[in-house]
Amino acid sequence: MKKNTFYLIFGCIAIALLAIFWYSVELHTPLFIEIAFIVGIVLVYLAKRNVTDILHDERDMKITEQATMRTMQIFWVVFCAFSILTVMEILRVPTFSRSTLTFRSQDILPPRMIGYIQLGLLCLMIFLYVGFRIYYAKKYGDFETDEE
Amino acid sequence: MRKNMETLRPMKNKIKIFRAMHDLTQEHLAQAIGVNRQTILAIEKEKYIPSLNLAFKISRYFEVNIEEVFIFDEKTPTITQT
Repeated sequence: MKKNTFYLIFGCIAIALLAIFWYSVELHTPLFIEIAFIVGIVLVYLAKRNVTDILHDERDMKITEQATMRTMQIFWVVFCAFSILTVMEILRVPTFSRSTLTFRSQDILPPRMIGYIQLGLLCLMIFLYVGFRIYYAKKYGDFETDEE
Repeated sequence: MRKNMETLRPMKNKIKIFRAMHDLTQEHLAQAIGVNRQTILAIEKEKYIPSLNLAFKISRYFEVNIEEVFIFDEKTPTITQT
């Protein structure tokens, strides 16, 4: 498969997922988009395996590896901090017996807010990855000018 | 902390000279050894140090010893690559 065909398939899957997302919101059935999203990603991976004219050599792999590692190094800390907060919210801990220390409000983090923060975290991960990818691509000579 | 970091010494190379001697473009060399043209450019510009495998492939392609293409410069200060 040519890479342009792959990009076309990728675009079609993205549009289909967007339509399914809209339909899922209309029907109030989140499971629908979740299954569709997983199926869509699997299809993209399968299609990518059949592309013949994209060459990933060792420098490309190194750039990907470094960018992924740096993204995860930052992301897991932010994600863990957020997860600790949500776990505390679920378990309702700590609680103090003395009235002076009962500062915990009923809703530290409303469920809608958790959704927004997760969306923010997703965007953060994408931005971190793209940023690190550009940085390492530049470091390993991707934007070097050619005199040929 | 620094102990865990990969330390590399700058590696000079003569790929450009060998290419000129064999009248090869970066594209041709890249295709012959199975990498992207940008990788050859990055190696030539000393922005990327190739793996031993790739270094051997390049030198074998020019039918010379690896040390004739790649020069390990011990006098140059060490670069810390994370």
